Amino acid sequence: MSAKAAPSDMAFRVADRLRTDGPWDVIGERSTRFEVHLQGAAIELERGPITVEGYGVRLFRPRGDKLGTGFQGSTDTSPEGVRAVLEDAEATARHSEFPARTVELPSGGRAPAEVLSVDRGLWSDPVGSIRAYVDALLRPFEGRKGAVPSFGSVKATLTELSFANSAGLKVSFPCTRVDLELAVKAFGGPEGAPPGEFWVTHTAGRLEPESAARSVEAWCRHAADVRHAVTPPTGDQAVILPPPVLTDILPHVLGFQFTGVARLRRIAPKLGAAVAADRVTIRDEGTYPWGARSAPYDDEGAPRGTHALIERGSVAGLLYDSLYASAFATGSTGSATRTTLGPSVDSFGDLRFTQRSGPGGSTIVVAPGDGGTTDELVEAAGEGILVTQLGWANPNPISGSFGGEIRIGYRIRGGKIAEPVRGGTIGGAVLAPPGAPSMLANAEAIGRDLELCGYLAAPAILVRPLSVAGSSP
Amino acid sequence: MTTVADHEGGLDQALQRLGRKARFAELMAESRTGDRVSVDTSSTTFASEPRLRGVVFRVWTGRQWAEASTSEFGPAELDVVVSRLESESERGGGNAPPPGEPATTRGSWTAVAKRSLRDLGPEGSISLAKDIRGWAAAVQGISMVHVVLDWGQSERLYLNSAGARCHQRIERTHAIVVPIAMENGRVGFERWGVGGIGGLELLPELTEPTIRKTAAASKELLGAKAPPSGETDVLLEPGVTGIFAHESFGHGTEADQFVRNRSYLKPILGQVVGPEYLSIVDDGTFPGGWGSFFCDDEGHLAHKTPLIDHGRFVGALHDRETAAVLGAKATANTRRSDFRSRAFVRMTNTYVAPGDRTLEELVADVQDGVLLEQWMSGIEDPLGGQMQIKVQKGHRIEHGRITDLVGAMALSGKVLDFLKAIRGVGRADRIVIEPGFCGKGHSDPLPAGTGGVHLLSRAIVGPA
Repeated sequence: MSAKAAPSDMAFRVADRLRTDGPWDVIGERSTRFEVHLQGAAIELERGPITVEGYGVRLFRPRGDKLGTGFQGSTDTSPEGVRAVLEDAEATARHSEFPARTVELPSGGRAPAEVLSVDRGLWSDPVGSIRAYVDALLRPFEGRKGAVPSFGSVKATLTELSFANSAGLKVSFPCTRVDLELAVKAFGGPEGAPPGEFWVTHTAGRLEPESAARSVEAWCRHAADVRHAVTPPTGDQAVILPPPVLTDILPHVLGFQFTGVARLRRIAPKLGAAVAADRVTIRDEGTYPWGARSAPYDDEGAPRGTHALIERGSVAGLLYDSLYASAFATGSTGSATRTTLGPSVDSFGDLRFTQRSGPGGSTIVVAPGDGGTTDELVEAAGEGILVTQLGWANPNPISGSFGGEIRIGYRIRGGKIAEPVRGGTIGGAVLAPPGAPSMLANAEAIGRDLELCGYLAAPAILVRPLSVAGSSP
Repeated sequence: MTTVADHEGGLDQALQRLGRKARFAELMAESRTGDRVSVDTSSTTFASEPRLRGVVFRVWTGRQWAEASTSEFGPAELDVVVSRLESESERGGGNAPPPGEPATTRGSWTAVAKRSLRDLGPEGSISLAKDIRGWAAAVQGISMVHVVLDWGQSERLYLNSAGARCHQRIERTHAIVVPIAMENGRVGFERWGVGGIGGLELLPELTEPTIRKTAAASKELLGAKAPPSGETDVLLEPGVTGIFAHESFGHGTEADQFVRNRSYLKPILGQVVGPEYLSIVDDGTFPGGWGSFFCDDEGHLAHKTPLIDHGRFVGALHDRETAAVLGAKATANTRRSDFRSRAFVRMTNTYVAPGDRTLEELVADVQDGVLLEQWMSGIEDPLGGQMQIKVQKGHRIEHGRITDLVGAMALSGKVLDFLKAIRGVGRADRIVIEPGFCGKGHSDPLPAGTGGVHLLSRAIVGPA
């Protein structure tokens, strides 16, 4: 079965039916998802198409020296349905206040050069592509002794987006997204140890069967190492954080604190403030190839681009959508987003037409440093811990603190990888006031190899020190 | 917007059509309504639940389950979904009967608020939220306050080809207040929150003194000391104990993980795992509980399931399939996040039942430890048997006395070791179920309640 090939014009059709004053904008979305769920190495359940097609209308009304911002989303495109949505949006605008007098919505502008955000093979044959991906993922387990997949799913979402607004904007584009979750179990052997598990999650804009298949060896090794890992010692230590761990931390903190939302709440760092080591440079790249949020346009229809957040350790810029830009008399950075990062309390959190937009990160890119390969970072660490996976770093975007249980990592002894560790916690602050210890201020070395992990592209970072809570001395 | 029940005829026809091709077919259709008021220091946002509804169909193909869903109830859209599942049923190639017994429950239920937040209207809700903001902002040192009040009504219709028909409407209300104190780049905040099935009657403690106390606590957190690091005695406050129950014996007893051989608990069902005074329960019938409902998404009536009874591990949570495989009965724990999400074995309200120790006795029992307060999150480790719990703050306990305030912490430990180390469970007249959102793995969030009493054990803690 293939997805509908016609370009989405939902926003244009709804916009044609709006009989209202500006400023307003409309987002149209058709989301079609296909899923395969695994039980062991067998397919437990196939799902799809899971189809939702809807639109959201946002409008802005003067309310004294402030702006009433109204919004409603719906799947009903009938004239009565659009009328009801407009009434809801007007009602919510009457009861909302935003500290700006007006808003300047995007009116088009130059589209970025081709953005790698649509997996064409997946688009033309979603079911066949996912089945082929699952086959490729499971093949390395065939005949393997002592390691099996125990649980998992592959979810592929094909999204067609369209935007129209009262400034004359009309753009539409597709994008794809793939979410992999796989638990690998290691068992058996003479040692009688309980089974071990390595639990993988990965998000990207495309299916990557070769990459997944290549990773199986490492996943199985980590699962096996869990079985005889020991609790690390307590104390401040050198810690190496690879990209799969950093993606659970940096986008959540930087993607909030470096935005107009945080600035409005007086949480954003000040421009020019030194918040990280000199070697740290971080940007937000809206068109990063195959990033989970990469697209030619943001979720208001403004062209996405690249924006410096931290330049050689100092704050270089913040991210805005059109509304939050208007609060500070600045311009949008094409950073409007209507989806949440990672786990959401709202099960519709991935449906853009159900959400108001706000500024947020796209792909947070940590510039490679001169720390070399991961092996060279290990050598530079001397003694410490390489953390391969945390339970859930779950950083607090407001305070910037993070921490989690070590699910699997490795001691570093004499500049070499040594025995596996598991249990205990690492934690600290991502950012801290100048002079205070933090993960980015204590970044002693940054690796050379960029790896894309969902909302982050980064090399491994050596942090010295970071607090480790484990076994007693 | 029309209700799901208004479309029952068309949905039922689609189900009957599927039932002619598949050995078993079912559907869950849902719609939601609700409003949300969000007020902070600089803006006010009033939002309505999107006008969104949808239906998911599931069929047994003779070999495996297949599902498809749509947000449209029109004949053409339903035909796309049904045709797809018909072809899956034909392609299925197997002749096995569907696993387990189908539910045949029939009924219609409604849980309404005694005093709905909806009845306040937008003006009344915003006025209340701004009053709350004012109570917190009046505390010196508070520079930002965020108040959220929301109510939502979920309507779900379940039909299956065995004759079940369950229609339920449930209204939930949720309130969160976060006063934020900032000083020299440091940020401190405490969270006050309540939620459950019902309305304003759930919020008797949402008063000015409560909120001022919360704001004062936020400010106090600016001066919190670093938490201890390493293995220590840990005294969990009731809310944190609830998260412990959820992450340890909640996720660990979801029997789909037993079937996958992905639960460290499966081999020890029936064994003593903790002290005689420890009992843990999952209860979908808990009155007003955030995670309560009338029937699950397979049509089974809500149920109370003992997991640990007086120290012995006695039960697991089942859907029809795991019950069949493991020789048990379905426990009404099959839940879908929404019409786009698959059915999984999930928790409802999970809590540690009261014991017999006073808080003073438990504190007096600690020479060197920490009281963990204000849970933020937790995550399970179904096969490995570890657990992670994060809290916003705590207090040191030294020589039987509560002393210094300390900042955010993460707790790490092996669940079975943690159970063996339990030295006391607090007493309480009643259990308070706190609202939370639970994921299955890394997706599928849904409302799940947690609760408990003070609990004393030993674990590793560190800054977070």
